[in-house]
Formats: sequence, structure tokens, C-alpha cells
Amino acid sequence: MRLFVPIILLVLALVAAVSLDRPLPPADLVIVDRSDVYTLDPQRMSYQHELRRARVIYETLVNIRAEDCEIVPGVAERWEVSDDGTTYTFHLRDDAKWSNGDPVVAEDFRRTWRRAILPDSAADYSALFFSIKGAKEFFDHRQRLLADFAAAKAAGGAPDAQELWRDTLAAFDEMVALRAPDPRTFVVELNAPLAYFLDLCAFPCFAPVHGPTVDAFVSIDPASGRMIQRHDWTKPGRIVTNGPYVPTVWRYKRDMRLELNPHYWNKGAVVARSIECRTIENPNTGVLSYESGAVDWLTDVGPEYKTEMLAERRAYLERFKAELDAGLALGGRVDDVVAALPEPGRGERRNVRGFNAFGTDFFSFNCRPALPGDRANPFHDARVRRAFALAVDKQTLVDRVTRLGERVASTLVPHDSIPGYPRVDGLGYDPERARAELKAAGWEDRNGDGIVEDANGVKFPTVDILYSTSSPRYQNLALAMRDMWKRELRVAAECRGKDSKLYKEDLKKGNFMIARGGWYGDYGDPTTWLDLQLSGNGNNDRGYSNPEFDRMLAEANAEKDPARRLELLAECERWLFTVEMPMLPLCNYVSVYGYDPVETAGMTDHPRLEQDLSTLGPRERRAEVAGGRGRAVQTPAAQDGLP
Amino acid sequence: MSAQPTSVAGLVGRRLLQLPFIVLAVYTLTFILAWSVPGNPLENPEGRRPPAEIVEAMKKQYKLDDPVAFYFDYLGKASGVAWLLGRDDVPADLPADLRPPIFDLGPSLKQPDWSVNEILATGLPVSITLGLSAMLLAVAIGVFAGVVGGLKPGSAADFLTQLVAIVGISLPSFVIGSALLMLFAVQLGAFPVGGWGGVSYVVLPALTLSLPFAAYISRLVRFGMIEEMGADHIRTARAKGLPRWKVAFKHALKNAFLPVLSYLGPATAIALTGSFVVEKVFAVPGVGQHFVDGVLGKDITLVMGVVLVYSTLMVVFNLAVDVLYRFVDPRIA
Repeated sequence: MRLFVPIILLVLALVAAVSLDRPLPPADLVIVDRSDVYTLDPQRMSYQHELRRARVIYETLVNIRAEDCEIVPGVAERWEVSDDGTTYTFHLRDDAKWSNGDPVVAEDFRRTWRRAILPDSAADYSALFFSIKGAKEFFDHRQRLLADFAAAKAAGGAPDAQELWRDTLAAFDEMVALRAPDPRTFVVELNAPLAYFLDLCAFPCFAPVHGPTVDAFVSIDPASGRMIQRHDWTKPGRIVTNGPYVPTVWRYKRDMRLELNPHYWNKGAVVARSIECRTIENPNTGVLSYESGAVDWLTDVGPEYKTEMLAERRAYLERFKAELDAGLALGGRVDDVVAALPEPGRGERRNVRGFNAFGTDFFSFNCRPALPGDRANPFHDARVRRAFALAVDKQTLVDRVTRLGERVASTLVPHDSIPGYPRVDGLGYDPERARAELKAAGWEDRNGDGIVEDANGVKFPTVDILYSTSSPRYQNLALAMRDMWKRELRVAAECRGKDSKLYKEDLKKGNFMIARGGWYGDYGDPTTWLDLQLSGNGNNDRGYSNPEFDRMLAEANAEKDPARRLELLAECERWLFTVEMPMLPLCNYVSVYGYDPVETAGMTDHPRLEQDLSTLGPRERRAEVAGGRGRAVQTPAAQDGLP
Repeated sequence: MSAQPTSVAGLVGRRLLQLPFIVLAVYTLTFILAWSVPGNPLENPEGRRPPAEIVEAMKKQYKLDDPVAFYFDYLGKASGVAWLLGRDDVPADLPADLRPPIFDLGPSLKQPDWSVNEILATGLPVSITLGLSAMLLAVAIGVFAGVVGGLKPGSAADFLTQLVAIVGISLPSFVIGSALLMLFAVQLGAFPVGGWGGVSYVVLPALTLSLPFAAYISRLVRFGMIEEMGADHIRTARAKGLPRWKVAFKHALKNAFLPVLSYLGPATAIALTGSFVVEKVFAVPGVGQHFVDGVLGKDITLVMGVVLVYSTLMVVFNLAVDVLYRFVDPRIA
């Protein structure tokens, strides 16, 4: 039959096509993420898994050591801070090299930070640079120049975009206090002392990019005068990095391979010589893939599996409780002690572990004077907000609704996550007081119909609870809290689930009374959390604006003594969560990792939960390297609650 | 297959002339739909929000502040017209390997490191391989089951194959896919759980994708066989003393297969474009899941690019089947 010939050819072609597309040779460490990184441009990234990868591809001036979140030398081998705390002088090490062998010099940092500050780059985190003297002024100046350019263009003129660009660069040199007096010295001047500036310097957005590689993709748009950047330089083969690893393969939404950077100065401290990062979006497939043994670290165990898998771990640890306690009492790390225990039996496992994350789950109260359409907003009144916060039984929520047993939170900053920052406690669960607060605000059930009214007999408006349908977690929480509020406060309440884009629109417009939120800290200072409540902050979804709080936070920040400063910041947070209550913190997020401590070592349980991929790897290899980047460290205490 | 032109060349010429208009209509419709999706592709669905000035700057850069400008700008770049006229947004001194391609589908708004061309270049071969493998499997399974049933209608074998066919059509592929994964990958360890690269990675997703098509094909073949086996030329062949299997496969199947052939065109197109569920379940890095994520994230350039390429592919596939049909069944010409 003639028909068979094309079919056989087709089969051969398919087999050939598939066979040519071989998987890569096995890497020392295989990790699976739920989504691919969106970009490898460190100035443009904002997701946790991106930042985690950037931390090992690029190296910042100083590093944050994963074990204890101490600042350790990075590209800079030492640094000095002026007496007034505003000038930082970094001395770069001689042997810091790019992956093509070029030396890493101070000018690399100056140019990269310029790139991050320029509004043209549209960097999410550009505001982090505004503590540098002149940075905000330069940002505004460039915005003005671009506006003038557009106006001149509209008026029929022919302004020269290249000239505008040259003016901009000259303005940067003049305005922004970043200097590179010689290739090994980088001087940064700040507007005011900033206690956590070194922590910022270790944030991946402050990592340098290789100038010549990046500049080849920069052009100046003659129509708008803007600098346009293409990102093709991030592709393997082109990308030049200064961290422990270089990406050698990146297949979109499939996998990325990191190989040891041959020119990295601290190669001896790197555990895994190659890392394969796979993307598996389907959480079910991710767990199956992990269970089949092909994966060393599943960074996010699917929501359907978390509870059961953690219960199996608990069953296992319960059986060996005595041995575990003894090992921990001797100062052993949880993973090391667990790895030395006998094999798990049926219905038990040790290859999954939950950690308290540096993140807090909360619901926002809408604090604006009125809702869109000039509808009355009872939540403008702090007494009403306190009433609603006091009526929520968070322990029940984490035990029965999310079923992950998260650590209940009454404030935003996770406890013990920032050294020197005191534990702050906000309002707890007290339905009696909740009703009293509501009554004090003028709301009580006057006609006995089961719904509270104000003095004029006007019913409490139906509480509009907004959540995003991106995860069943939010719906379950919203429904459970609705019932608590109905029961304890005698109000009518309705839940409104929206797709995440529409949810975000409603948040922005302030079209809600109570809405789900959530936040992960970026750096080791309470301001990464407290800034959220500043008037006009871009992430202040609550529309909370209190000049008194803005003043308190500014005053605390200006305090020169670091210990006193943290105390003042704690004061701010205490006031927020005992009096003002712009949001209702529920619990700290729990990250559930899949990894076998027998095979894979180097996972940190520091409360900031910043995993360093360069210190992770096979247990025996990790023992050879001992400690990874930075010097050897003492064992910090294990996290409470979730061994 | 409405009007029948006189020659193959005429058919091909006419269809190719229609192509740009069909694609333009699809482009316009998709653009209207994609643009009216609420939200801003440059914002993350979760977490950090960049300052308002930054969002404005980004919107300007990608022409997201002006639908008309975006519509024509993208159309010009994607169709190659901008390339023909010379692009003013590309520096003249840019090295050749960095210059945008002739048909420039733009950068992905969600993944700024990847252009839509690159995403299609990595995803399309995978989707095509998966889709064609599934169609091959579907034809093999479908024809076999259809012949078995069609030769002895009402028999136990017929009942069984038809039952399997009904199940194949009715069960959604994420159920079948997950079941196959549990059985063959996790319990038996015969195939890898997910990913791509090597024949073993293709089997389960292709099988999952093929089942609904196989089921439909088996029904087509079964009816065709029942009809054919009663036809005059089959009786003649049987009278000549030819063995039963030879009559069935050589004489009856030839005609019974014709409806399958006309079904194959659209079916292949559906297999190629509709594989996103299977791609998600098996973590196959094809275009389907990129497309779905693009729609959900309002990644307009990605959505438009995929739609443009797929609509072109659809037209070409249907054309190919029509041409093939003429060679197999000369009565049509």
C-alpha cells in the first residue's frame, strides 16, 4: 500500500526528532520549581525563585550567609562605614572575576546601579536605591527630561535622543553619590544612615551585570528618547556572570542548567558542581516526579499533598522522639539528626519538611473614608477594625481550615526573624472584647433582628470579603472568617471570589471592605514590613493613611543607635496591631519542601528561609566542602514548632 | 471542501490567496478579545507592585497605552511588512545575529528575556512531535479497533472496543493522563513521570492525547467496514476465494478509511493546538501551556503570536488534507 510509505517516514522522522532532543546528563543537584524564572536580569526580577537563582549566578558586594543571615564578604573583601553612618567604602577583592575572565571592578557596580535607578529600566525594586544620595532626584530629573522630550516632539520639534542620553549620563555622574575612585574601591553616600544598607547590598537587585555584554542590547529610541533594553544577553552562551554558577542551558519553561563558574574566586566553597532546575507547573506531576526519585529538592509540595505528607513526617518523628530530642540537645541540626535515624516505616516519611517562611498571611481592612461610589465604609473606624480582628479564632483556622498548623500571627513581622527586634504581640482572639469594641463604635443589635445597627437604626452594611480564586486556601479562609464574624459580631457578610487579575484591580480601586493579602520580607529589617502601612506606599492596598504613623516610623528610622532604633520600630508595630489594625494578620506562611535529608544536605532553617543553592548538595560532597560560602558557622537554634 | 476547483494547482493557489485574509480576520478578533481581558500584563498577579511611574514607563515602551498603535505596530512587525519597509527602532549597527527576525512576534510581556519567536521555536517542535505521534497512535488504535468491530458487528469484541471508544471520548484527558501516570510511571516505573527528551517521554502523553481521536476513528472505521463488507466488490473478491483478512484490509478498508482521512485534517490541527491539558499533566514543554498561561496573564504579544502561527498552520493543514484526498480518491477531482 502506497499509504504506508509516508506513515513509515513520519514515524522515523518523529523518532529522530525526539531522540535528538536528549535530556541532559545528571547534575549534582536537581531541583523542581513550580514556574520558570521570568528573567535572569537581576535588576528586573521580583519573584522568590528568581532571586534564589540570582543569588548564585551573580555575586553582590556582600553576601548573606544562608545559615544565620549574617553579612559576609562577597565581591568586597572588606568595607568601612563613616562615623556619621552615611558613607560606605567598599574594597573589592583582587580575584573577583566575571565568567569570561574579566575582573569585577567598582565601575561595574556604579553602572549597574545606574541602570537600576533609571526609570527607563522599569525596575520593580528601583525604590530600594532611593536611600542613595541623589538617586531619587536623578530619577525625577530623567522623568522630567523624557516628558520635555515628548512635549518638544509633540510641538513639531526634532529633539536629539542621543544628546538627551548623553545629558542624562552626565547628570547621573553629577547628581548621584556613587563613586569609583579606582577599580578596587567603590564609595556610596547615603541621604541618611540606613541600618540595613549592607543587607540591601546583598539583595540580588544590587548585583552587578557585565557592562559590555548588556550594553550590546541597549538602544536609544529616537521617537521617545527612552533607553530600550532587550534581554537577549541573558541567554546561555552570551550571559556573563560573577557568581558561583553560569547558566549553560536554559530551555523556556523546561529546564535550566547551572555549571560551576571556572573564574569564581571561592570555587572551593561550592557544594554542587552542577545544578539542574526543572519547571513542572502541575503540582500533582511535581509530587509524582519527586516520588519517582528523579528530584533532589521539590521547592513547593503541591497543596493537595502538604497536609498528608507532613502528617507522615510527624508520625515518623513521633516514633523516634527520644533519639531526635537527644540529638538536638547535643546541638545537632534537625536534618543531620533525622538523617542518622533508622529508615521510615509504612505510613511514615522523612523526605518532606515544613518551614516557617519569612512571610505573613493576612487580610486587609479597607481604611479609606468611603468605598467607591461614595458608599459608607464602617472600616474607616479603627474600633470596627479591632472588633473584626478580635473575633477571628486563628488557631481554628490553621488547624481546621488550612490544616497546615501554621504559626498563628498577631503582627506582621514574623517572630525571631530579625536579630535584635523584639517579639511584638498584637490583638488576639477575644470575642467578648470584639463585641464591646463594636458597641463602642456605635453598632449594636437594637431591634433584636440579629444584625447590628447604628444609633439611627441603619444596619451594618453587608461586609464585602474579597479573595482571589488562584488558590482554594483563600476561599476557605474567607468563608470560615465570614462565619466567625456573623456568629460573633452579628453582621451580614458575603464572600466575593475573583480571578487574580480582577482581584488586583478591585484592590487597587479600594473596592472591598476586607480583602486577602500576604507579604514576604525582602531584607532583614522590620521596615520591609512596616513600610507597607505608609501613606501612599505602592503596596498599601488598605489605603491606610495616618500622619501619626508616618511620623513615628520616620522618627524611628532616624534613630542612630541600632538597638534603640529596633525598639522604636517595635513600638510602631505594637501601635499598629493593638490600636490601628489596618490589617488582620493570620499566620506565618509555611513552605513545604520535598527533600531527603539523607541524600541532600545544606538546607537552612533560619527564619528568613533564604536557601543558598551553592551550599546545597549531596551529603558526602557537602561534608567535604564544610559550610559553603563564608566562614564556618555555629549552629543556630532550630525553628520552633516545625522540626 | 465546499467548491471544487478544477485542478490541484488551482486549489492550492486559491487557498493561499485566501490565507492572509483569514489570518487577518483571526488576528483582529483575537486582538479585540485579548485587549479586553482586564488587568495589566506588566504587573505581577501576586506580591510587589512597582511604582506608578514605572508602570507608565513600561506601558509606553510596549505601546500598551494605545490599542490602535499596538494593533498596527504588531501587525506590521509580525507580518514582515515592517521588515520590508526598514525598521527605525533597530539600530543600524546591530550585529546580524541580534537583529529581529523577518516575522517579529515581539517580546513576551511576562517573560522579558524571551521573544515570542524563541518561545515558539522551542515549543512548536515539541507540540508538533506530540501531536503527530498522538495522531499516528490514534490511527493505529482506531483502525484496528474499528476493523475488529466492523467485521463482526454485535460480537463481544465489537462490544468491548466500542465500550473503550465511549470511555476514550468521554473521559477528560487530565483524568486519563493522571491515571496512566499513576499506573505506568509511579507504580510500574516503566516511563518517566514528566518532562521531555527521548522516546520514553513521548509514549504516555501521546497515548493520552490520542485516545479521544482513536475512539472517534474506530467508530468511523467500524461503520465504514460494516457498509463495505456488504458491497458488491467485496462479494466478488470473496467469491474469487481471497482470504477474509486480505479482503478486509485490502479492499474494504481502502474505502472505509476515506472518512477517516477527511477527519484527520481538523483532528491533527486540534491535536497540535489542543494539547495544553496533556502538556500540563506531563510537564511537556510545548506551545499549548505557554498559550494558556499567556491568556491567563494577558501576555498579549504571546497570545497574538501563537494565534497567528496556529491559524496559518490550520489553513495549511486543511489544504494538505484536501490535496491528499484528491490523490486517494480520484472521484473528487
